[in-house]
Amino acid sequence: MKLLSRTIINYFWLTISVLLVSGFLLYGFLYLQIFEEIKEQLQLQESMVAKEISQGRKVNFPLVKTEAVPIDRLMVNPVFKDTLIYDNIQKKEEGYYILRQPRLINGQVYMIEVMTTHIGWSGYSRAILYIFIFIAMMLTVVGSGMNYLQNRKMWNPMKINLKRLKNYSVSSGQKLEMESSGIDEFKELNGVILELADRAKSEYSTLKEFTENASHEIQTPLTIIQSRLERISQFDHSPEMAGYISDVKQAINRLSKVNKGLLLLAKLENKVFPDETFLDLAELLKKQLGQVDDLIHHKEISLNIDIEPKELMVSASLMEILISNLISNLIAHSPKGATAKITLQKHKLSFENSGNKLPFEESKLFKRFGKNSPGKTGNGLGLPIVQQICWLYGWQISYSYAAGYHIFEINY
Amino acid sequence: MKLLFVEDEPVLLDEMLSYFSSDGNICEQANDYGQAVEKINTYAYDGIVLDITLPDGNGIDLIPQIRTCQMGTGILILSAKNSLADKVNGLNLGADDYLTKPFYLEELSARVNALYRRKALQGEENILFDGFTIDTAGKCLMYGTEEIKLTKKEYQLLIYFVVNKNRVVSKSAIAEHIWGDSFDEADNFDVIYVHMMNLRKKLIKTNGTDYIKTVRGLGYKFVS
Repeated sequence: MKLLSRTIINYFWLTISVLLVSGFLLYGFLYLQIFEEIKEQLQLQESMVAKEISQGRKVNFPLVKTEAVPIDRLMVNPVFKDTLIYDNIQKKEEGYYILRQPRLINGQVYMIEVMTTHIGWSGYSRAILYIFIFIAMMLTVVGSGMNYLQNRKMWNPMKINLKRLKNYSVSSGQKLEMESSGIDEFKELNGVILELADRAKSEYSTLKEFTENASHEIQTPLTIIQSRLERISQFDHSPEMAGYISDVKQAINRLSKVNKGLLLLAKLENKVFPDETFLDLAELLKKQLGQVDDLIHHKEISLNIDIEPKELMVSASLMEILISNLISNLIAHSPKGATAKITLQKHKLSFENSGNKLPFEESKLFKRFGKNSPGKTGNGLGLPIVQQICWLYGWQISYSYAAGYHIFEINY
Repeated sequence: MKLLFVEDEPVLLDEMLSYFSSDGNICEQANDYGQAVEKINTYAYDGIVLDITLPDGNGIDLIPQIRTCQMGTGILILSAKNSLADKVNGLNLGADDYLTKPFYLEELSARVNALYRRKALQGEENILFDGFTIDTAGKCLMYGTEEIKLTKKEYQLLIYFVVNKNRVVSKSAIAEHIWGDSFDEADNFDVIYVHMMNLRKKLIKTNGTDYIKTVRGLGYKFVS
């Protein structure tokens, strides 16, 4: 849940509960006040009636009852209570307050009963309820709306920064810039993030430099080992010795492949490729396929080629690497007699081949040395290089497995 | 051929010199930038193999100098650092080919020979051995006046072998030569074997000589 929604919801419940409590308090308080007022009014009325009687006038007034009662009733406590009286006009029972009080007037005890209506109490309570509902609605809707707009404005720099951070990569050359905000906490966060980014960047370049240097330093010794091994191979050897030499040669070959691959990957992150031209992808694809037609034929792969002309502004050497890696991958991972398809269209290039499902997680496919069992096929850098080249040009590369086919698709 | 090797690594230099000298080429060496400048300005070469990282300079800077005084020389760059940019820069400046370290000497030999045929001999040179003629312009193999039909790969293999004759060539070197860097997997060695057998049969059928020997565990050798 978004922070904004969360605060709005909290605000909403708070408003509702405050309004409910204060509504009940208001209701109760008003009720008591009115009750007291009515009681006072009835007492006044009763005392005026008593005065009339004491002056010998006959009281005959609606809602007033006087009755002479035996003297012992004088001790009865005054009664103040609710009652229902039938209203002839409205044709319904209505709530009334009654005050019944005995009085000794001129030696005679009178039971005086006065009453008054609830003076529209139900109307009052309803009015209060409506007003409160209205206030509640205004507070929640308008209040939440205001809150939302204000918060959104406040959080906006945060959102912008988040987006920038998502797109930021330490390997890219660009500098991270953060949208400033007037809020102290955000300012502090920005500062911390910028510092972190700088540190990550410098650590990254140190690491990259190390990789490059290590790869460079390894190249010359590798060349020496390889050429000396070739020299050693020229002599006559026992089959046992030849086996040893062959093992070493294979290992050296593998090492030099990995070394070249790592170096290329390090270069790819620099994004400097001087040989960019308009390249006919279809031409390149056909040329490379022509070069390995014997490999395809040997594996009895029935290859279906659907190529449309397509020109791209790219580095020729990188495209060669990309395509040969994908072709090599396709051939190496097609079982004998597989069917395969290579499609080149305006916006996509895809390589499909039939085969069994991957024995490892798909996510490892594009990872450097992602497969746990290296050695059999590839050096563990082919697809990472392909992916890196795609990223360099902002293309999407995806892998999927559908209906028994491995599908690599590049969208540019 | 008269060749100049500009390389600061003594072992590698020794390997290249002994390999190319054994083929009857005249080989000279330069261990650093200064020596290289001197040799380039003094003698003419058919081919120059140039290492880019030299202790006292960048090999790339030698290319324009070579081009001004020796037009027809084939220049092959050996690069270790920043291979892609070096390749592009070098080729733009006038180098003819490049190889990234580590490389196979056989591959270097194939490239240097191809350069020699293309540049110094303007593609007119035919490669001769034992009565066979490889017509590099027409890309075909003749025995006397009879043409021996070869597939594209067999032709490529044959040239590679003849240029590297009497030398054990490993399968990965062959795979890299005929298919490129990405295809030297052990799986593909079977295909080399197939091509090799076909080529061998065709040569035996022509004059009865078995030129291609299998060196167990190490590769193949073209004996002539």
